[in-house]
Amino acid sequence: MVAEHTATAAPEPIKAVPVRHPGRWVAAAVIAVLVAMFAKSLLTNDAFRWPVVGQYLFSVPVLRGLVNTLILTVLAMLIGIVGGVVLAVMRLSPNPIVAGASAVYIWVFRGTPLIVQLVVWNFLGLFYPRLGLGIPFGPVFFSVDTNTVISVFVAALLGLGLNEAAYMAEIVRGGLTAVDNGQTEAAGALGMSRGQTLRRIVLPQAMRVIVPPTGNEVISMLKTTSLVVVIGYFELFVSVQQIYARTFQTVPLLIVAVLWYLLLTSILSIGQYFLERRFGRGFLPVGR
Amino acid sequence: MAVTPTDAPMVEATDVHKRFGRLEVLQGVDLVVRPGEVACVIGPSGCGKSTFLRCINHLERIDAGTMRVAGELVGYRESGGKLYELRESDIARQRCDVGMVFQRFHLFPHMTAAENVMEAPRTVRRTPRAQARERAAALLERVGLGDKLDVYPSALSGGQQQRVAIARALAMDPKLMLFDEPTSALDPELVGEVLDVMRGLAGDGMTMIVVTHEMGFAREVGDSLVFMDGGRIVESGPPREVLASPREERTKAFLSKVL
Repeated sequence: MVAEHTATAAPEPIKAVPVRHPGRWVAAAVIAVLVAMFAKSLLTNDAFRWPVVGQYLFSVPVLRGLVNTLILTVLAMLIGIVGGVVLAVMRLSPNPIVAGASAVYIWVFRGTPLIVQLVVWNFLGLFYPRLGLGIPFGPVFFSVDTNTVISVFVAALLGLGLNEAAYMAEIVRGGLTAVDNGQTEAAGALGMSRGQTLRRIVLPQAMRVIVPPTGNEVISMLKTTSLVVVIGYFELFVSVQQIYARTFQTVPLLIVAVLWYLLLTSILSIGQYFLERRFGRGFLPVGR
Repeated sequence: MAVTPTDAPMVEATDVHKRFGRLEVLQGVDLVVRPGEVACVIGPSGCGKSTFLRCINHLERIDAGTMRVAGELVGYRESGGKLYELRESDIARQRCDVGMVFQRFHLFPHMTAAENVMEAPRTVRRTPRAQARERAAALLERVGLGDKLDVYPSALSGGQQQRVAIARALAMDPKLMLFDEPTSALDPELVGEVLDVMRGLAGDGMTMIVVTHEMGFAREVGDSLVFMDGGRIVESGPPREVLASPREERTKAFLSKVL
């Protein structure tokens, strides 16, 4: 209707002198100078040694470290997300024992440093030389030597994944409680069970709240994986460190690591954008 | 709708009590609603009318008394003179027979109008997608939204959302429909379109319990009018009689404020 009005009698547009923003120009100038200084240093500072960066960027040890970073990130986040959903649902359970168990798990795994947890998993054999299944104070049906099951890789994965699950649990719980209770009631009134309501109605809506902080967690995990150095495992950053410890090419190799981390983070950010769009259906102007 | 008094009751509430902590919201409610009857429940806010409605499909658990829908105890099973709580799956099965429409619609915002209507038949009854979609299209057509199948709730007006909610409840072929102040959250000019759909539903013989502030609708469509106050039914009877010549002082006082 507004459009029709303007079509019949186009009103005179307002002619006014716009407000000046000198502060914006000053800020832009300062930033431009800083960027120019940094760009000049990148090109002229010999310490960067760009040819060395190029030489190592795709070298075998760096790529092997990169693969390990990716494997650890993906698997640890998988454990973290699945574990987090389970823990969050437990935490919201009407059964106080189940809710309490989840609360204690979160308390322990968030309350102790990750670096300690990694070491504990690695040295699990010192606490429990054999792992087995049996009845407490009764017979043991079978058992295995702890050190054969818990390799350094498994210890790294358990340390990162189970710690992440505690953080993810709180993120998922926040998402679940953010969904209006009326949604649960409406689904219940239609004859849907609690499980169906959770899967079909509550979780998809909670995802809108869960995805952004989870994106943070994945990006954080990408870099946290370098902590596995404390139990003698390696990934991108450890590989880079090992190379510059030998060659003393510290700066170029740090640049190699930075470039890879930035590339991976950028890819993850793009993925997060699409996930957010997917779970924003019905909430955003997109897809209306 | 003609109501024959010999029909077995669709809803039979006997001395229903409900308390939230120390607050006794329902203090002994007795009500019989027969098949095909449209019962309108009015009363001041906080009188327990919404709570009573929610007890009928066990969204609230009653503390004393009995509630029967189509002869079946709600939420419990009687065997050998003892009451057994129903399992969650049995409660869900009972709720399939009772449709509910909420004041604030509670449509699923991540699903289109058609998906909202298809959801319960698909997940609860395992109806094939094509068949559920066909049914959803027919139901949305019936509430006047045949052109809004693939629209998300956020792009619909309040009146349209409430009509989708009615179609969603009808998709489970309920024997009874509960309306909890279905027009109270709507802009005044949108109230009519929702009441029209409800009027049509009543005309088709649906048993309905409507908690409402729409006295015109109650007078015109209702077979019975129930006035609640303080957790009890104060007065009930044919709507025209109750509205025109209330017997109880509290009914008079309430009606003088809202009419």
